Amino acid sequence: MNKYNPPRMNPSSLRSRFATRFLRTLSKINAQKPTSSSSPTEIFRRYRRIKAAADKSMAYSVRSRRTWSRAMLWKLRTRPCGRRSVKTSTIIKSREARKTRHEKQNKNTTTTTTTTTGEDGVVFGVEADELRELVPGGEAMDLYNLLDETAHYIKCLTTQVQVMKKIADFYSP
Amino acid sequence: MASENDDMGLEMSSITILNKYSNTSESDPFFSSGWDPIVSQSESLGGSSIASHYHLVMENQGISGTSHVSQYQSNPSFVELVPKLTGFDGGNLSQIPGPFSLPQCNQIANSNERGSKNSLRSLDEHRISETLVGTSPNGKIRKRSPESDSPFRSCKNGNEEPGMDLSSEGCDGLREQAGKKPKTEQNLSANSRGKQAAKQDKDSSQSGEAPKENYIHVRARRGQATNSHSLAERLRREKISERMRLLQELVPGCNKITGKAVMLDEIINYVQSLQQQVEFLSMKLATVNPELNLDLDRILSKDILHPQSAAVLGFGPGTNPSHTFSPSTFTGTISGFPNTNPGFPPLPQTVLENEVQNLFQMGFYPGSTMDGFGLDGQLKPEM
Repeated sequence: MNKYNPPRMNPSSLRSRFATRFLRTLSKINAQKPTSSSSPTEIFRRYRRIKAAADKSMAYSVRSRRTWSRAMLWKLRTRPCGRRSVKTSTIIKSREARKTRHEKQNKNTTTTTTTTTGEDGVVFGVEADELRELVPGGEAMDLYNLLDETAHYIKCLTTQVQVMKKIADFYSP
Repeated sequence: MASENDDMGLEMSSITILNKYSNTSESDPFFSSGWDPIVSQSESLGGSSIASHYHLVMENQGISGTSHVSQYQSNPSFVELVPKLTGFDGGNLSQIPGPFSLPQCNQIANSNERGSKNSLRSLDEHRISETLVGTSPNGKIRKRSPESDSPFRSCKNGNEEPGMDLSSEGCDGLREQAGKKPKTEQNLSANSRGKQAAKQDKDSSQSGEAPKENYIHVRARRGQATNSHSLAERLRREKISERMRLLQELVPGCNKITGKAVMLDEIINYVQSLQQQVEFLSMKLATVNPELNLDLDRILSKDILHPQSAAVLGFGPGTNPSHTFSPSTFTGTISGFPNTNPGFPPLPQTVLENEVQNLFQMGFYPGSTMDGFGLDGQLKPEM
């Protein structure tokens, strides 16, 4: 069918990457589901799987360029096998990964500073901790990197929400 | 008006005194009308009773002219209040330590009484505007405690506006909010005091005037210690400020927010709301039975990749449907998505609004969870 072909977005953009991956996983999940999925537990299970698929797709779309994506992938990998100490692994991973990134703050950021004292003062004591909990992999970052990760994370989250919303709208007109 | 004043015990007696003063002039109606917003404002600022008094004092002064100044001066309590007003040009009324700065006020009370009316009036404008804007907490941050020495020195010299140093010293003792240079404060000081401008440079202020910005650009400052530590700190703080600015652009509706703490709270709320949206959408996708095959998926991917965005994340007009709908009602197993983000009404509400419409069309009435699921298959008769 020769429909009006709108100008394609960048095929390698974050949105397209996430969309393709997520749709693939979603179709796989939907193919697996039994015909009678009206039980709440079944739906709950599917919900968990879809959510994990969404997070994993997003993290895979970002690859390992970001600390939060690495942390999220690690978390998703270790979660089914049981709750290991995710935080230490995350810290180790982020520490290793940070060496490859040329940033000057690397020397001072290996310590897990929950309260950034010093020049940042008391202001960021509580809020920074909250932000660290929200952003995956944020436990082992100083404030500057944390803000950096948060910015990228917000961007990816908005993309995720937009794509998922479109899918949901498509399925239920 | 009087009922509000009853809450603040300290203000009661002063209010009666003020009433007595204001009755003598035509500013009485203004007084009664002007009290309420100022009271509410001061309450919102932290309930500094003396600060609200200051506003009243200045209002009356501005209206009735010089006659009241003498009246105020006769009252020793207002004599203390008047210099206190000068000390807070940054609008940090909420930060006024009542017993803390009063002793210093007594010292300079005499010096402030003469000819300080004009400057007070200008300060009043600045202060009121600043308290309204709410930029005060950041404008007053002084990261150096040794600065308090120079304020006292200049204070003893009997300059016209020694209260400025009081405020700096008080702020040093009070708040350790670092990261913001007191640029706006210095702006006011440069406007209102020409004499102390040179002295203020020692207090880590910029020598030149600069427009009030949300985040302060730090340039090389006169008299600033240039050891490596402070330089590194300043560089770091600049970077953090820049990051905060980027985040401010990312998070919708944060253009007016100044201040790192509030900004961080907004960011946290935003991230939480986004995560909740993802959960909600995944839940919705789980409940909807996708009977579509791959062709539709392909079309779907094209549709998704189309540049037309959903534009539901806060950019649209914030139509707030009733907040009574909570996503948790349509399923009993999920432990609810409490929509606890009052700060982003457009954000989740517009998304939820569509979801609500969709869900209601599908028969997801908030009370009959199982019925909704039962209707699910019936909505796609072709399958």
